[in-house]
Amino acid sequence: MIRRVSLVVMLVIIFGFFVFSILDLEAFFSTFGKDYFFENGLSETGSVNLVTGIYLDYRLFDSLFEAGLLIAAVSGVTWISQHEITEKNATFMLDRQSTPTLFVTFSRLVYPFMLMFGIYVILFGHVSPGGGFQGGAIVATAILILYYIDVQKATSIDKILTIEKILFLTIIGVGSISFFTKGTFFTNPFDLSASEQVKAIYLITLNALIGIKVALGLVAIFTAFLKEGR
Amino acid sequence: MSPILTIIVILVGLYGLATSKNIIKSVFCVTIIESGLILLFLNLGNLEGGSIPILSGLVENIVDPIPQALMITTIVIGSTITALALMLCIKIFHHFGSIEWKEVLGREE
Amino acid sequence: MNDFLAQIPIFLVFIPVVFSIIIYLFKAKWTTYLSFVSQVLLLIAFFAYLSFWRLHPGDHLLVFGGWSERIGISFFHDGLSLTFSFLAIFIFSVILMYLFKFRRKDHKFFFFFLFLEGIFLGMIQTNDLFNMFVFLELTTVLVTVLISYQKSGPSFQAGIYYLLLNTVGALFFLIGIVFLYNVFGTINIRVLQELIGTQGDRTVVKFAYVIMMSGISVKAALFPLFTWLPKAHGVAQSGISALLSGLVVKGALYVLIRMERFLFVEAGFHMNELFFWIGVVTAIVGVTFAISQKDMKQILAYHTVSQVGIMMMGISQIGLTPFYGGVLHIINHALFKSLLFLGAGILIKHYQTKKVYEIKGALKTFPIVAVMLIIAMLSISGAPLFNGFVSKSMIKYAVKGNFIKEALFFLINLGTVTSFIKFSSVLFGPKAILVKEKNPLQIISIIVLGLSCLGIGLFYQVIASSIFGITISTNLWEISHFLDYGLFLVIGFLFYRFVVKKDYLPFQKIRHFKLTFESANYMFVVYLLVVLGVVFL
Repeated sequence: MIRRVSLVVMLVIIFGFFVFSILDLEAFFSTFGKDYFFENGLSETGSVNLVTGIYLDYRLFDSLFEAGLLIAAVSGVTWISQHEITEKNATFMLDRQSTPTLFVTFSRLVYPFMLMFGIYVILFGHVSPGGGFQGGAIVATAILILYYIDVQKATSIDKILTIEKILFLTIIGVGSISFFTKGTFFTNPFDLSASEQVKAIYLITLNALIGIKVALGLVAIFTAFLKEGR
Repeated sequence: MSPILTIIVILVGLYGLATSKNIIKSVFCVTIIESGLILLFLNLGNLEGGSIPILSGLVENIVDPIPQALMITTIVIGSTITALALMLCIKIFHHFGSIEWKEVLGREE
Repeated sequence: MNDFLAQIPIFLVFIPVVFSIIIYLFKAKWTTYLSFVSQVLLLIAFFAYLSFWRLHPGDHLLVFGGWSERIGISFFHDGLSLTFSFLAIFIFSVILMYLFKFRRKDHKFFFFFLFLEGIFLGMIQTNDLFNMFVFLELTTVLVTVLISYQKSGPSFQAGIYYLLLNTVGALFFLIGIVFLYNVFGTINIRVLQELIGTQGDRTVVKFAYVIMMSGISVKAALFPLFTWLPKAHGVAQSGISALLSGLVVKGALYVLIRMERFLFVEAGFHMNELFFWIGVVTAIVGVTFAISQKDMKQILAYHTVSQVGIMMMGISQIGLTPFYGGVLHIINHALFKSLLFLGAGILIKHYQTKKVYEIKGALKTFPIVAVMLIIAMLSISGAPLFNGFVSKSMIKYAVKGNFIKEALFFLINLGTVTSFIKFSSVLFGPKAILVKEKNPLQIISIIVLGLSCLGIGLFYQVIASSIFGITISTNLWEISHFLDYGLFLVIGFLFYRFVVKKDYLPFQKIRHFKLTFESANYMFVVYLLVVLGVVFL
């Protein structure tokens, strides 16, 4: 009890410091980033969606290691969950309970739209809200719905992991092309003065690669959990 | 005002970490801190207000796009860490038959 | 050509990462040998860059994508980061040699191991705060997997403890970054350094500083937050323990140095005293726990904690001799602590036990290993002619002239000597009859480490002047140093013989003391509040 009370007191004091610093911040915050991207973002990256422009161009190096983190975590999760990697996909939903028919029917109805929406979000990530990471998550959800529809659908985790790692190498490769055209790593390989349509080739390629990679990574994680569920 | 609310979320997560006796609860407290952090950054990027950072059509004022780009990364990091932590929880449950910190930490040898 | 040479830091990150994935993808017999190829390529790349750096000394900045420094992500190199990069490559190579024989067919292990190496090199070089956070989290994930690699119950438990506690630390580090970004509009360390120098005197900057420092203290295993370290060492294999103590903790200390010495150096928060005392407390607590342990690896693990404290005592005195002593001690500790863990690992593997009192006669059974262990023990306890002596005598300048501080430093040294007298009981006794495994790579790896300990101890002046550009005035051959050390040995032995060996109740209490996860987080809150109080009041 003493512990909880003292904890609350301490947290309230810390809260006070937080509030003071935020009040301080509201008086002095910098709009440098905002102004810079508003003026130069579109012309430099060719991406109408500035967020995509940032994570595929200005800060591509971060995104590479974000993808790398996903690889590391997926490999870690599959290593820790002990089953043999060659074993075919889980069937625990059949074991535990039969999925309601209503659910299956609606899943069948929704599945193609979800997949299409995910692919749309990936491919149009540079002109509208979305991008590789977000779209990849949607595609992964669509693939997971597939498990409800047809439990016998078999995917081997081993294959997923292999494809995912090859994709990661490809993403690094695509990011490095600019070294041969511009002499610097991790940016758009086309010239700064190229038109938006030309620059979009690079953005769409990279978004698609990241999208597939994220989708596969999430599916692999989910499959590892399904196998544990039995 | 809203940045201050997000700080409450962060501190609630911290309170939970310092009191919860269950591993799964601790995992979720970490997730709560992370969500609070994401909301905090997005709110601070929106202090002046503005439209979404997509320059199609006539846009006069946008919110800062950097927080949004960084928070995508943070979300991915958070989700992978949660996945790894939950997998460890499952394994701990298989080995010790419990997910209480007390019972798990007590049986080290 | 110069353009290409300037891009080499990128290769330092990507050579191990790409090789790790190739090893994972092609599961043939020969692929694991590629890890040595990767190591050789890394060394070539590093020395090419070093010669380039020698031609154009100073601070090197490499911005990716050709954007302005304020917008893009950049790598930064000076003498310190080059030293740490070399240290990382060296320790990883040695541990690879040590582990190679049992892991030859385990492709996954090499994937995690080499990936961690790439990430670690990236964390040392990066000049961008958010990028640093990403690398910190990646190291956390990879180290968690390596800790729980054996898939036993306790290893999962230590893994999740490590993962959650360090994630909380990293998230608080990120909150600091959020505030700094909103104040200055950039997260580039060099730009921020200038901006903080001119307009850093604000509540929000101070607060960001406190939060970032507290977050990183979890990873650096400072006083109330070190509890994950002994747990992780207790379950990890000896090679991984060596990696954890020798490098991963040092990575966090490096980040701490970057924060203190670069990012906030001109803000003038005057935190030297606080971090000095945190260092003292960490050292004393670590050494107390170490004396009471009976498990070989636990003794070494708590010693890491106490040595981190000694390093903090040095690092806190920015720009003075003790600071360089602290940095040198980080390097030295990486060498001798890896050597201790690897040597202990060989003994543990052959004797099939971790208990100090059950292992006897190592000197006769494994002469080479035992000699190397003696070198490491002399180094860690600060004997003259060995590397620990140099850095400890540099750190000693921080306590000169203050009686209490000198007494505490004396106590820490005494504790170190005592616990290693306890540790050295494994060396003596009759020869044990054991089935010996031949593993020449392992023996070479520990000999390399032992020789480098001796090398730094004897040629410290060359090393200090080439890395830091300072001259050390300590005279090695002064007879008083040897007398001092002899005195320490005698007192330490008496203390061991008449107090520690009796295993009185307080020692048993300390040995069985365990901090639960909730309490560790409670300590984190307390720590945060203490640092806040000191900075603001």
